[in-house]
Amino acid sequence: MPEEGMVDALRLARRLLPPGGFVLDLHPTASSVAVEVGGCVTGFVDLGDGLRRHAAAAHALARSIATQLLTLERTLTFDFFTYGGSVDELRDYIAENWREARIPDAVVERTRDAVRDAPRIKPRVREHVQVTRLSSANLSRLMSADGSRRD
Amino acid sequence: MIEEDPEAHELAALRAVWRPPAACRVLEIGAGDGRLTRHYAREVASVIAIDPDADAIADLRREFPQIDARAIGVEELSLPDRSVDVVLFAWSL
Repeated sequence: MPEEGMVDALRLARRLLPPGGFVLDLHPTASSVAVEVGGCVTGFVDLGDGLRRHAAAAHALARSIATQLLTLERTLTFDFFTYGGSVDELRDYIAENWREARIPDAVVERTRDAVRDAPRIKPRVREHVQVTRLSSANLSRLMSADGSRRD
Repeated sequence: MIEEDPEAHELAALRAVWRPPAACRVLEIGAGDGRLTRHYAREVASVIAIDPDADAIADLRREFPQIDARAIGVEELSLPDRSVDVVLFAWSL
């Protein structure tokens, strides 16, 4: 979805909400996705246009806040891990289920070597994800002229 | 076998920002096969779940027949104003 489409989706969300309603958004941050074995990074997923899309999502949220469409209440980040029984399984899963993303062959090879040295450890990919809660209340409408809160 | 988030970090993060009251009406955009939906669907009053992936929505419908699951994109969604309490973008922006 292009950034304008994301902003349109946020506008729609705002329209569907009553006062006191809120938007929850989860999306990966625009950061690299590591392939790991036992916490050791063997390389990175080639995300195609993924980083650009994730940055656009963050920008669309920032625009919705800047234009007072929505009010930021809380944001936090977490790591989302996807494990494979083997790096080949992980490679195939990502190729099939992640838009345009792939694990490069050199990273597959390095990960295979790492798993060979630690056969009990499953390879995984680490995504950094942001969750944001935004209120439908427009704060400026809740403030009196002297800046005190009216609610 | 592929395992997604066995540490349940996603659920913990969602719970940190949202404890849904029982009367809550939720619209989930990008619900897929319901990875997030199944964590809250039984706690809220109603769920409308949309995703353009018809196969994933069929899976979601099978698991949760009470959910209004629609195989559409957000641009095709038509709902009255102020008709839900929470809009959840599930990795869909």
